[in-house]
Amino acid sequence: MVDSKQQWKAWLYLAPAIVLLLVFTVWPIINTVAMAFLEGYSGLTKTGGDVTFKLGVGNFTHVVAHPDFQQALLNTCLLCVITVPVSTILALLIAVALNAIKPLRKALQTVFFLPYVTNSIAIGMVFAAMFNVIGSVGTRRQIISSYGIVNDVIMALGGDWINWINSGSEYWANMLVMVVYIVWNALPFKILVLLGGLQSVNKQYYDAAKVDSTPRWRVLTRITVPLLSPMIAYVIITGFIGGFKEYTSIVGIFGEKMGPVHDPGRLNTMVGMIYDSLERDNQGGASAAALILFGIILIVTMINLYVSKKRVHY
Amino acid sequence: MKKLVSMLLVLAMMLCVAGVSVAEETAPAYDGSEVTITFYNTMGANLTAVLDAYIAEFNALYPNIKVEYTSVGGYDDVRDQISKEIPEGIQPNIAYCYPDHVALYNLAKAVQTLDAYIESDAVITRADGTTEVMGLTAEQKADFIEGYYNEGREFGDGLMYTMPLSKSTEVLYYNKTFFDANGLTVPATWAELEEVCKKIIEIDPMSIPLGYDSEANWFITMTEQYNTPYTSATAPHFLFDNAENKAFIKMFRDWYQEGYLTTQSLYGAYTSGLFTSTSDIKSYMSIGSSAGATYQRPAANADGSYPFEVGIATIPQVDASNKKVISQGPSLCIFKKANPQEVAASWLFVKFLTTNVEFQAEFSIASGYVPVIKSVMDNEVYAANIASADGGAYISALSTKVCLEQQEAYYTSPAFNGSSTARDQVGALMTKCFTIPDGSDVDALIDAAFADAIAECEYAVGW
Amino acid sequence: MSENTFKVMKQRNMRRISGLTEPMRILSQLGIYLFLFLMALIVLFPFYWMVISSLKSLAEYKLSPPTFWPKQVLLSNYADAFTTANLGTLFMNTMYVGLVSTILSLIITVLTAFAFARLEFKGKELLFGALLATMMIPGELFTITNYSTVISFGWLNTFTVLIVPFLVSIFYIYLLRQNFLQIPNELYLAAKVDGTGDFKYLWKVMVPLSLPTLISITILKMMGAWNSYIWPRLVANDDAHRMITNGLRNAFTETTGDVNYPVQMAAVALVSLPLFLVFVFLRKYIMSGVSRSGIKG
Repeated sequence: MVDSKQQWKAWLYLAPAIVLLLVFTVWPIINTVAMAFLEGYSGLTKTGGDVTFKLGVGNFTHVVAHPDFQQALLNTCLLCVITVPVSTILALLIAVALNAIKPLRKALQTVFFLPYVTNSIAIGMVFAAMFNVIGSVGTRRQIISSYGIVNDVIMALGGDWINWINSGSEYWANMLVMVVYIVWNALPFKILVLLGGLQSVNKQYYDAAKVDSTPRWRVLTRITVPLLSPMIAYVIITGFIGGFKEYTSIVGIFGEKMGPVHDPGRLNTMVGMIYDSLERDNQGGASAAALILFGIILIVTMINLYVSKKRVHY
Repeated sequence: MKKLVSMLLVLAMMLCVAGVSVAEETAPAYDGSEVTITFYNTMGANLTAVLDAYIAEFNALYPNIKVEYTSVGGYDDVRDQISKEIPEGIQPNIAYCYPDHVALYNLAKAVQTLDAYIESDAVITRADGTTEVMGLTAEQKADFIEGYYNEGREFGDGLMYTMPLSKSTEVLYYNKTFFDANGLTVPATWAELEEVCKKIIEIDPMSIPLGYDSEANWFITMTEQYNTPYTSATAPHFLFDNAENKAFIKMFRDWYQEGYLTTQSLYGAYTSGLFTSTSDIKSYMSIGSSAGATYQRPAANADGSYPFEVGIATIPQVDASNKKVISQGPSLCIFKKANPQEVAASWLFVKFLTTNVEFQAEFSIASGYVPVIKSVMDNEVYAANIASADGGAYISALSTKVCLEQQEAYYTSPAFNGSSTARDQVGALMTKCFTIPDGSDVDALIDAAFADAIAECEYAVGW
Repeated sequence: MSENTFKVMKQRNMRRISGLTEPMRILSQLGIYLFLFLMALIVLFPFYWMVISSLKSLAEYKLSPPTFWPKQVLLSNYADAFTTANLGTLFMNTMYVGLVSTILSLIITVLTAFAFARLEFKGKELLFGALLATMMIPGELFTITNYSTVISFGWLNTFTVLIVPFLVSIFYIYLLRQNFLQIPNELYLAAKVDGTGDFKYLWKVMVPLSLPTLISITILKMMGAWNSYIWPRLVANDDAHRMITNGLRNAFTETTGDVNYPVQMAAVALVSLPLFLVFVFLRKYIMSGVSRSGIKG
């Protein structure tokens, strides 16, 4: 009796969310699946009439046959595997450091929030400018008018300049720039969440640590991380999901060619596959690409959830 | 019996099809009924002011046609928005368009062909008591700059889909002060350009003599100048993989490697910025849009004078007696609607914008684009503006003047579903080939790059 | 124990027990500051770039190599930004959509997160897993179908269309649920014994305890309203409902389809200012989240 009352109540709490989800999330998913199995489905072509779309898996094979497909899969996975741990650890360190200082804490907290009020257009442009080498790189008569700030710093420290993103640049250099950019982008959100979590942590645990004279790094790994584990799990899982959906950041640095000028498509990603179809109004192909991506993310998230179940302490 | 029935059915269907196409060919005259027409464009505030004034003028003639416009953003934004609206049936009546946008909309057969409207001889009485012919008169047709007007027919079926509104092309900007001081002549051909580049490097070893802002335009223009295949509106679409095209790419690659020239994406910054640069590294020639003339002018000194004077000329040609320059800039297309009066009213408004001398003059001065009708030159304000053309304060007028002087040279490329992919691919192809390093098998790599580009194009039209 | 004596004790404990000598402690503090300053510098750079770009002329903006300080400071960009775009209306529209959708979204998020964190019902795990899974579908695909949906609802060019489709965010529900789960279950059971209803418990205990997270969500949601572009452009691009990002983008588009970036940057800086101030104001609440929590003593 109590149980069924509780059931009833739970669904009441859930009702507003469920209604909205049914209309704006579940229905689009059903529609996406439907479009994915209609070969070459396009809203415009359908409007034009006199075409019937064959039922089949043609959209999926078409996506897999994309010249960039394997590269995109590799890029997406690489970016995820690198950026998520790096940004999470950095954000954690910054959040903990902010929590450990007294003077200037407010000012610094404000600074770490600034990216939130900075428009994304500005951020993309500034990163491209920082790494951009301007000049005729790699020609017989090499003339360079600007090495970019990053190279300026490297050269000031006695190193050689690196061709990061321009014609003739290497894959690892391109990837490094993307990692820096994506980590930078991910930091404010993660700091926000982790700092929020840190503020809610019961101080008594720390007091106990002090009494036990635990060194700082041990406090971090043995107390802070376990206490923050739900928040950390949150940023890691959402970080992976976001990482697999990486697209705009690459357009921000490399433009819609998704690669350095001599090798367009080199940095293409799975979402790039979706856009490739959408641009031509091929919604069937876009849906198929989205479902493929969905499958990948689903598997990764399952693994993540499984691991976090074992590690997260509530 | 069965056979007879099916034959009758086929016959009936054929008649139906014929009936549909006949229906499309008629252009019902505007009967003065009250309609609201919507117009998507990319105009900034300075241009919508001009538009407002002429909508008011149009309404003095047709008070029952209400024109509502929306500045949607950039050209791609207009395309994306409309291609989502068409399946819902809520597309605007009129829109700014590029040929490949129309090819996309045509998947849905959503764009109204204009031939019947252009040829219509229905006479309409306007609010001020005067009359006008619904279609275009012989004089009006002849008034259009031919290359611009013909762009509306580049869709493979010979039908007219768009009307030109304002146009631009590519022109060669050069540092006139530097050219005069060193006794250089402005190159009219690519062969002359090579010589000029060599001389410039001797004079200023730190320079990259020429900057070209669009690789795609460059490739397509070269196929026109050499008269070699690029694309076709009918299948097979992609014809650019041939020995002649490879030959010119190889030649330009060598020039790039010699440091004669660069392009926007290879250089890593705006080539107009290189041209107007005040640092040691600069260019002395720059090929870019005629509408962007003000960006090719160096920043003024404190006293209002300019560090150097800019000259503007036709871009280099293969054969100076058979010039070819690209035609770009927005056209207008009209969408099909259930209410024929909306379409008729839209046509009247499009006709008004494209044939009204004062509007064309004012719009051209405000935007830096070139008018599409010749009689604008007789407009006093416009003539005065052109007369003031110089390489400094009135650089836009100068670029317009150069555009108008090469009227016969405009070409357009076929538009079809996949033409924008071809454009992207040949642009990428150019840079890819330019950056092939010395010491590798240049020919083999160029072959491979062409094959890749064709494969990407074919993939894109796979569906 | 007052906050102050607590701190003093904390420091004394630290020094005495952890065995860190005074110079060592200063050194480690210095290290922390150094790290924070370095990161702050990196984080600040794009912001700096936005501001100097907003002061350049378009010609200088296109210059190569780019200038790191405008040669000619053009404050007129700000005047242009203010007059060209109808900033007043755009601002009010955005504020309205931002506020309404934030409030509604918070209510829905709190209710849903509570159900998932505290209430028991059949299929809870399964449903939550399914919700998580929907996060994994790229948003672009929702757009196509949702566009048809809102048109059939007749919502085109209304505020409703800007607010309702995005009220439920699995991201936020998930985040808040994580937070709710941290609150000891004993509190809930004790409240039950006291006869406190679920709703009262949620409102009086859970919400105050999760204030930092709720404020984080508020900031994120407001930022979302501020930066949303693709959807509003599609469904509500008329004068009465236009949002700030669309307004800015439309107003500064050149005929060539190019954007006048310096003026746009100026406009962006202008509209960012109120948001920045709001944040500075809200930060206090984020920080005070702890002292309000009932579990400390």
